Amino acid sequence: MYDMLAALINGTLGWGWPDWALHLLSHILVVTIVLVVAPLQMLFFTYYERRVIARMQDRIGPNRVGPEGIWQPIADGVKMFTKEDIVPQAADRIVHFLAPCVVVAPTVLMFAVVPWGPGMTPVDLPTGLLFFFAISSISAVGLMMAGWASNNKFSLLGAMRAVAQMVSYEIPAVLSLIAIVMIVGSLSLNSIIGYQSGLLISNRDLPGIPDLGLGWFVFTPVGFVAFIAFFIAALAEGERTPFDIPEADSEIVAGYMTEYSGMKFGLFYLAQYVLNFLLCAITAIIFFGGWQGPGVNWLYAQAITPANPTGNGLFNVLAGALGVFYFLLKTYFFFFVMVWLRGAFPRLRIDQLMDFGWKFLIPLTLANLFSAAVWVAFIRWGPAEGMWITVGWSPVLRWLAAFVITLAINLGVYLWLTRIYAASQAERRRAELEELSATV
Amino acid sequence: MEVVVQIVFGLIALFILVAAVMVVAVRNVIHSALWLIACFFGVGALYLLLEAEFLAVVQVLVYVGAVSVLILFAIMLTRQISGEGSRQLTARWPVVLAITVLLFATVMAPTLINQQWNVPPAPPLGTPEPLAGPAELGRGFVNEFLIQFQVVGVLLTVALIGAIVIAFEERARRRKVLTLAEELELKRLRARDAQVATPEPIEAEPVAQETRPANKG
Repeated sequence: MYDMLAALINGTLGWGWPDWALHLLSHILVVTIVLVVAPLQMLFFTYYERRVIARMQDRIGPNRVGPEGIWQPIADGVKMFTKEDIVPQAADRIVHFLAPCVVVAPTVLMFAVVPWGPGMTPVDLPTGLLFFFAISSISAVGLMMAGWASNNKFSLLGAMRAVAQMVSYEIPAVLSLIAIVMIVGSLSLNSIIGYQSGLLISNRDLPGIPDLGLGWFVFTPVGFVAFIAFFIAALAEGERTPFDIPEADSEIVAGYMTEYSGMKFGLFYLAQYVLNFLLCAITAIIFFGGWQGPGVNWLYAQAITPANPTGNGLFNVLAGALGVFYFLLKTYFFFFVMVWLRGAFPRLRIDQLMDFGWKFLIPLTLANLFSAAVWVAFIRWGPAEGMWITVGWSPVLRWLAAFVITLAINLGVYLWLTRIYAASQAERRRAELEELSATV
Repeated sequence: MEVVVQIVFGLIALFILVAAVMVVAVRNVIHSALWLIACFFGVGALYLLLEAEFLAVVQVLVYVGAVSVLILFAIMLTRQISGEGSRQLTARWPVVLAITVLLFATVMAPTLINQQWNVPPAPPLGTPEPLAGPAELGRGFVNEFLIQFQVVGVLLTVALIGAIVIAFEERARRRKVLTLAEELELKRLRARDAQVATPEPIEAEPVAQETRPANKG
């Protein structure tokens, strides 16, 4: 943003503004954009989800307000604002009031590190990925506060379920991302996206591959397993349907949101949809190249960047527009998959959820971590690190060896784990039946 | 710039101190846990002020995201420790205060008296500073501090195994809660047994009573 503003104001218009004013203006602009975009995405997502799930259930969905019902979320927002705000008499007023803020604030903060397009990261932190997950773990505290302060047993049960689920599924999510971080060698989201240029094969792994922005991690065995594990964990973190145990309306009313009404309820709703957007976005960024796509890198090479200050500002706009288009396309597709899963699957039981997370996903992601190490060893290591086998191999051979070995490891571990998991579940069921028949 | 940093540091330090005092001053245990979380945030902000970005993020991830949630869980799962009505000070609080001050002074006095406060002069502007990023820390863990790293790992594993052992013992003592499917299965099994054995209606009566409390829990 700063580069573009500097080129526009001091270059094209020739106003000669001081440096600090430019910095201030660019920061204010970025913050405004982030704060406006987050609720807008949430508004769009509510409409999008309702329309898609309606189609899947052979209904029409909201279609009255505006063309095809596109203004429905705004009408809902107005309704939320005009509703009475009810606080239970026995509630802890201050904590009850603070809880929605503590839930919403981290989700908006997470927008700060999302790269929307080439050179369009609000804050490019060197530890961006870690920041994302550290901040997202704060909302667990907010959920606890909401559940406890409402002084309602359904709220407390919902909060307990939500936090237990978030804490246990954070582990496979982070472990699957560590595999990618090992391959890239950086926690910065921009360098993770930068690594994924190429065509089916990343041109950082195999130099000489034409750059069409399609060298996504999902095309490698390590990335594929990590993607599946991460997406399942993301469903659990975002409390999406197969894992919507915390707000199972047939069991515990609405979970931690039971005692909230009006705009406070709206804030929880906002936090949830913004979190879903961010989880879809992170999936797109880490495994599907984010804004990478055919043409973006070519356009961006001719734009104004710190490396190329004499570029053409028009190309900034073009590259940015194309990058944002690819990024949102991927993100919306993943949200579609989330809605699709909601339409297709029933809710899991809490013990099934915990078993799957701890006994299947975590071992799988740990094995995937080992595969990632093998990948790095074959692609990048030489005799200095102790890899004597690959001395003198051509890059193609190295890449092939890495691909075949990691594929074999991941496939073997997956098949082995499914057998063990199925056997353990069957064994458990048998033991429970035995216990039951002993009581007869 | 220096002055701004000083002011920000003062504000953050004040916030941390207030939060830390509130942790021990408020009566409600949950409130005190929430103040503790605020205190953790303040420490994270201090790390950010020192430009130790990685440490700040880890502080939030570990302390706010995991440790404090664990504390909240423990409080909420323990009955009758809200502590609203109980007195916080005993009658002998001056003695306690004196002992505490004395102990604290014993620790602090040598540091304060012998400290030279030789703060290194600020390096000229533009010199790259050796920041402890994740890569440097990781290299330190597998080279220089390997033993410590391994010992901490073993310690955590032992804690984990201990937790599992305790949980298993607890589980054996706990009464089983039946799911709907299991109850149906039980009913089916009972019906089959009743058919095989003597077809008496008395069989079913006590067992049905047995399942009901489990159902409620």
